[in-house]
Amino acid sequence: MNRRDFVKQSTITAAAFGLSGLTTLLPKSAHASVWDVSFTAEGHTKNMVDGASVFTWRYRDPGGSGPGDLSSGLVVMEGDDVSITVFNDLDRPINLEIPGVLEGTPQVPPGGSHTYSFTAPAAGSYVYFDSVNGEIGRAMGLAGPLIVMPADGSNSLYVGGPTFDRQYTLVLHELDDRLNSAIAAGGTYDMANYEPNFFFVNGLSYPHTAADGDTLVDMFVGERVALRFVNTGLITNPMHFHGYHVDVATRNRVPETAVITKDTVPVNVSECVDVILPCNQPGAYPLHTHYVPGVTANGVYVNPYGGALIVMSAS
Amino acid sequence: MSSVNLKHGHHGPRRAGGRVGGESPQGDAERTFRFLGPGHAWLTVDMMGRQRMADGRRLRTWSFGRGFNNDRSVPSPVIEGIEGEMLEVTLFSMMPHTIHFHGLDVDQRNDGVPSTSGFVAHGHGGGGHGGGGHGGGHGGMDFGRVEGYDNLGSPFTYRFVAPHAGTYAYHCHVDTVLHFEMGMYGTVIIRPPGGLANVVWDGGPAFDREYIWHLHTFDSSWHDETVSSRRTVRHRPDYFMINGKDGANAFSDRATAINGAPGDRILIRSNNMGYQPALIQLGGLPFQVIASDGRPLPASFTTDQQLVAPGERYDLLVQLPSVGDWDAQVHYFDIGLRRSLGVATTSITAR
Repeated sequence: MNRRDFVKQSTITAAAFGLSGLTTLLPKSAHASVWDVSFTAEGHTKNMVDGASVFTWRYRDPGGSGPGDLSSGLVVMEGDDVSITVFNDLDRPINLEIPGVLEGTPQVPPGGSHTYSFTAPAAGSYVYFDSVNGEIGRAMGLAGPLIVMPADGSNSLYVGGPTFDRQYTLVLHELDDRLNSAIAAGGTYDMANYEPNFFFVNGLSYPHTAADGDTLVDMFVGERVALRFVNTGLITNPMHFHGYHVDVATRNRVPETAVITKDTVPVNVSECVDVILPCNQPGAYPLHTHYVPGVTANGVYVNPYGGALIVMSAS
Repeated sequence: MSSVNLKHGHHGPRRAGGRVGGESPQGDAERTFRFLGPGHAWLTVDMMGRQRMADGRRLRTWSFGRGFNNDRSVPSPVIEGIEGEMLEVTLFSMMPHTIHFHGLDVDQRNDGVPSTSGFVAHGHGGGGHGGGGHGGGHGGMDFGRVEGYDNLGSPFTYRFVAPHAGTYAYHCHVDTVLHFEMGMYGTVIIRPPGGLANVVWDGGPAFDREYIWHLHTFDSSWHDETVSSRRTVRHRPDYFMINGKDGANAFSDRATAINGAPGDRILIRSNNMGYQPALIQLGGLPFQVIASDGRPLPASFTTDQQLVAPGERYDLLVQLPSVGDWDAQVHYFDIGLRRSLGVATTSITAR
């Protein structure tokens, strides 16, 4: 049984998890657990939805790489002891930082490794990334999500916080293939010229998003669905919901002081925004960035390519 | 326009100072934009539009109906509805287009999205539970399946009960990245029950005058295209607009420039239908942010600038403090919020 199946069958949380490509390390009891994970930072040729190939970087957990070739993610519980050993197969130094959790961390030289250890912090959605290479590192893909579940084992965003019946983690990122080509050729790139042309949710572009079980938001009328947006890219994504308004619950783990109900939720660079969707009507509806060029693949919107657009299906 | 086809009838305004259907709160003499509705709106599609920019250039545009006002081709007209009452919008088009009612939370049939709404018309399992059925179907966004233009030239009527009073949008969802840019977008205003037109929602703060600020830009190099392609990869705007007007045309535009008397409470319904985040400043005047995306904010707040991301709406309330003149600015930023790409400036005048 792989880890995702374990979580889906776990009795400790009744929530159905939709955690695309995440290495889920939920314990069998509410007691703190110890986890050792290995990430390999590596180059990778990623296939675009229109058939193009683009050289990217990623942190890959050999046991848990996701369907969209994105960097691996982690799901843990508050208080867990987590060690991530990073092997660096890239041609330059990197590191791994988690804003608010692990900062100012040591570098890993090419060919080397380093083990980063931390105690899982307060429940919520986090982003981790390489900070050695600045925006280039994130543009190339060295960033991923860390989800921390509350220590009481409840289906809530944090102890005493908003509850949900199921949850999805939606990693938002994009790339500018001119940057990737320059890096692949051993050069660099002026980030002032960063204008992305491929866009992803969980590493996938539409219509592949609608065929992935962890990215298609599948729900029943009457449920409360938690959606965790984790922006690992370098643009703002105003995520627009068809069919529903949602309640914005937290931004970077800070609870909103009152319920703000929106149909378009901006998710800024390196920001984590958790929302609760009260599913109040049946149907199939898109959820997409309203940076409209972000629903294209290299400029093309028409049949059958797309970008950062997923489908919500409710019955 | 009469209130036809309303299930429960429309009983007209409950008070003076505003009336729905063809009249802004300013009254006919100062009417600034064309309303359609309430109850029913008929829209045709004009793909032969020309928009005159401040530098004299004329850009090709597409729009629903006859434009936001007589003197411009885009944005498209304002559609007005009344909370809790049926709103019907009939679209006539010989070409493939739809209407998506942005933020109105309509059901799937009326959502105007080719890849999902189209499934309803032809029974391809839209709304079915279980991911397996979606992959194959979504793999082919077949325009021929799309309800609303599977009978080109025949009218299609969208029907829904207007939700919470507030500010919404509508736009074409076919080849969205280009149809949107070309001007197939507009504002929807849902009035409170009974059609009150001097409050945004029943019980909300009152206003004396209202303006719509439809915020958008053009990348002129896209306006000779007919379909999205590798020639529409990167949007680099060169015209920065409010309500279809840029440069000197925005400064004095009667639909945009704010005119009032000291003490007047001015409502600005900002609606970002562009591809860039827009920062609104009212020349230093403080204003209240009272609602967003068709919902009152739990607590309004006072500020002197508000960022409106693409697709967002914010309702702003400003009270003109004294006789004076102010330059209001809308700065359009790149989507990474790295720098301002351009600005639209309009005037605020209190006499």
